[in-house]
Amino acid sequence: MAPSTDLLQGTLDLLILQTLASGPMHGWGVAQRIQQISKDMLQIGQGSLYPALHRLEYKGWISADWGNSENNRRAKFYALTATGRKQLETELETWERLSAAIGLVLGREARA
Amino acid sequence: MMRELFTRLRFLVVRRPKGDLDEELRFHVEQATEANLGAGMTPDEVRRRALVDFGGVERTREQCHEQRPGWWLGTVAQDVRYALRGVRRNPAFTITVIATLAVGIGATTAVFSVVDRILFRALPYAHGDRIVSVGLGQPLERQEFTLGGFFFEWRDNQKPFESMTYEMGYGDCNLTENRPIHLHCISVAQNFVPTMGIPLQLGRNFTAEEDLPHGPRVAMITDGLWLSRFNRNPAVVNQQIDIDGHLTRIVGVLPRDFEMPRLQPTDILQPAQVDIAAQHTVNSGIGYPMWAFARLKAGITVAQAKTAMQPLFLHTQQWIPPQLREQFQLQIRSLRDRQMHDAYAAAWVLFGAVLVVLLIACANVASLLSARGSARQRELAVRSALGASRGRLIRQTLTEAFLLAVVGSVAGCVLALILLRIFIAIAPTGVPFLASAHLDPRIVLFAVLVSFLCAALFGIVPALEKPRAIALAGRQTRSSANARLRRVLVAAQIGLSVVLLSGASLLVRSFLNLEQQNLGMETRNVITVHVPLNWEHYPSGFLDFYLRGESALRRLPGVNAVGMSDSLPPAGWNSGKRFSELNVAGKPPTLPGVGGTVVTRKVTPAYFRALQIPIVAGPGFTEEERTSKGRFMILSKELAARLFPGEDPIGQHIGEAQFKPYFSPGPISTVVGVAGNVKNAGLSGDDSPELYELATNQPDTWSLHHFFVLESSLPVAAISPLIRSSIAQIDATAPIEVATMTQAVSQQADRPRFETALLGFFAFCGLLMAVIGLYGVISFVAAQRTQEIGVRMALGATRMDILRLIASDGVRLILLGGIAGLGAALAAAQLIRNLLYHVGPRDPLTYAAVALLLGLVALAATLIPARAAMRVEPVEALRYE
Repeated sequence: MAPSTDLLQGTLDLLILQTLASGPMHGWGVAQRIQQISKDMLQIGQGSLYPALHRLEYKGWISADWGNSENNRRAKFYALTATGRKQLETELETWERLSAAIGLVLGREARA
Repeated sequence: MMRELFTRLRFLVVRRPKGDLDEELRFHVEQATEANLGAGMTPDEVRRRALVDFGGVERTREQCHEQRPGWWLGTVAQDVRYALRGVRRNPAFTITVIATLAVGIGATTAVFSVVDRILFRALPYAHGDRIVSVGLGQPLERQEFTLGGFFFEWRDNQKPFESMTYEMGYGDCNLTENRPIHLHCISVAQNFVPTMGIPLQLGRNFTAEEDLPHGPRVAMITDGLWLSRFNRNPAVVNQQIDIDGHLTRIVGVLPRDFEMPRLQPTDILQPAQVDIAAQHTVNSGIGYPMWAFARLKAGITVAQAKTAMQPLFLHTQQWIPPQLREQFQLQIRSLRDRQMHDAYAAAWVLFGAVLVVLLIACANVASLLSARGSARQRELAVRSALGASRGRLIRQTLTEAFLLAVVGSVAGCVLALILLRIFIAIAPTGVPFLASAHLDPRIVLFAVLVSFLCAALFGIVPALEKPRAIALAGRQTRSSANARLRRVLVAAQIGLSVVLLSGASLLVRSFLNLEQQNLGMETRNVITVHVPLNWEHYPSGFLDFYLRGESALRRLPGVNAVGMSDSLPPAGWNSGKRFSELNVAGKPPTLPGVGGTVVTRKVTPAYFRALQIPIVAGPGFTEEERTSKGRFMILSKELAARLFPGEDPIGQHIGEAQFKPYFSPGPISTVVGVAGNVKNAGLSGDDSPELYELATNQPDTWSLHHFFVLESSLPVAAISPLIRSSIAQIDATAPIEVATMTQAVSQQADRPRFETALLGFFAFCGLLMAVIGLYGVISFVAAQRTQEIGVRMALGATRMDILRLIASDGVRLILLGGIAGLGAALAAAQLIRNLLYHVGPRDPLTYAAVALLLGLVALAATLIPARAAMRVEPVEALRYE
């Protein structure tokens, strides 16, 4: 039951955490934001987005609360918890180390 | 991390409201719809697009659900429910597997628990594995012993041992305080307790001063005596008790699990107080008999110790009279070996039998599960097509196998408990430690693990194969690898049960031989009376008691004969002589060491009448001769034939050699009769020639161990109280033991009966399981070929052809397994050779019977499903599946 995404395993979690770092957001918002920022390069399959959100919630890295959306619809807003913030930091660090390593393997200087 | 854990736990307990997720997803779709609306599509088109983008809502819902911690627990419950349903639908299969597992685990555990106590138990001494028994072995007594004259020489000059100690057998003693009881007192060396490594519960060991001749009277008591007599009162130490009229101070209490190295019953240990210097003068200069034990130095093996002790032994051999010197050997072996002297063989046979049963059980479970697996290939294929992953399928089959294994294990443990009770109940007293056998958790664990492994291994095989598309096509497929495996397993089971059956049949035949043999005497209506007298009450000897007892018993109603003897057949003999000690007057003496041993018994004339031992020649003993000063003998037929080949023994004179000095001519007796041969070396031992001496009325020849032998026309229950009251009138304090001769003889057969019953039980289990396995496989094959049968019949095959087709499969397995099994059985029978009596390990009749029995039963197991196949209606068969 691998998530139907081309993203590296674990990267989706990182993207979601990073996106939520700027403030609470509902699922649709998270998907839109990732798509916008990546200039439509990353389209998160909704089939992987919600399982991922739920997984992170179960892990206690994000919390969920019902609230009203910008067009006044009831929507579930996800926010980063304190543990989630710490987790984001470690994951970012790991990611940087990994991409630097991949850069080295591919023979290109990792650009700082 | 604690917070994370709490979060997880919270979600484990609190379920989300069910509509939550739906609303969240609906919101997402609506947002997408709105976004697309802005792009100017029609509302319907927009909604369709949004749903397409979103992908399967159901799938997302499933996946969200699966993120929940502990989600898999739910699927396990689902698997278990499913397995239970499958199990209920197939009760025959389920019961067979569970019963097989139960018998396998139950029998294995119970027997391992018994055998473990015999073969592998730890001795209750701190240095148990380094304790050896050291002594002299010789033909008259194969369990080594030693003599004072040797021991102290060895002890003072030996090198391989850290310390050497001895005990001096057991003597009867009586606690003569207000409630007199009969006890077993054992004299031991001062260093006995520290050498063996026995931790005292209370008090101290004897001091060196207390072990000197005429030292103070002190004692250590066992836990049993402490409990029964002193209610475990700690104040018992330093208390004085009255043993045989002497005040004795208790200095210590032995541990609960205390036992003497020779396992004799014990209540009290007393210091031996041996006069070491006198050991070269007492008992013809060889010293008192004793049993020596030693603790090996670290790193020294038994063999090394023996080599090291050999020169010392050769040196001390000088005290053995030259005529006998050759017969004595130094014997050193581990204490365990000594204790298990002849229980080893039986224990290993049991051990082997139970392993075979476990193997058969495993093979059976394996072939049953494998057959079921093949039958379910189609179901697995369907489940796989409906989206079940391989992992899920494997887990499902494993769940089912484990479920069976769990139930089987529980049933097995219960069975083991019951079996163990039964074993202990029917076991003869001669099997050491059996009474204290209990289910060992390690052994239970082992058996359960084996069955789980077996279930897991063979349960998983069908699920491991990728479900084939063809299985969906509605045609039955036969996985040929599985089929071959099952056949091998069934053939192996048949082979193994042939081994078990032959072993059991040999033991049964040998047991029947043992039971039905001619003892040479009549045991029915014969009652034996033994009165262990307190010697302190009889300062002038026991003769008077026995004479008064004899006449009192003769007056009892229904008593036809009252004889007396110092020992009773057919037990192994109590006293004996070397054949070479008998010298026929007027003939050259036999060479020393030639001719083996002769059993001697001191009896009264009525002994022969009571046991109906025929006097085949001569007048026999008469009542008048009892009061005469003469010495009279009756020879057994065998002894007469050896001493007087072709001559008439009656009236001949025989001199018995004396030991002071060695082999000097001793008193001369007159032969007055020849008696029929009587079994006298146990039921299975080789009989020795027997010599009856007349028990004359000379007080010094009567010991406190004589038996009365009564021939009575009243049943034992009726006459026993009469016997007790008439003996009590002579000595009110003496305990009285009344038994029937039949009991005594049957006790001799207890051990073989036990072994036979156990092995027979295993053989039965093994055969049953093998037959179940065969039946299962054949009926499975028949069911699988139903369609083929239909086609064949439609094409004109007769019902007999079908029967032949199906049965030939089974017959091939029976032949294959049977022949291999017979070969293995012949080899295995060599191992139980020593347990057999009057039946060879290759007894053709036994093997023929086993082959016939197995063939018949196995054939029946084949024919029943084959007949069912034969009756199949071709039309139905063609429609099948």
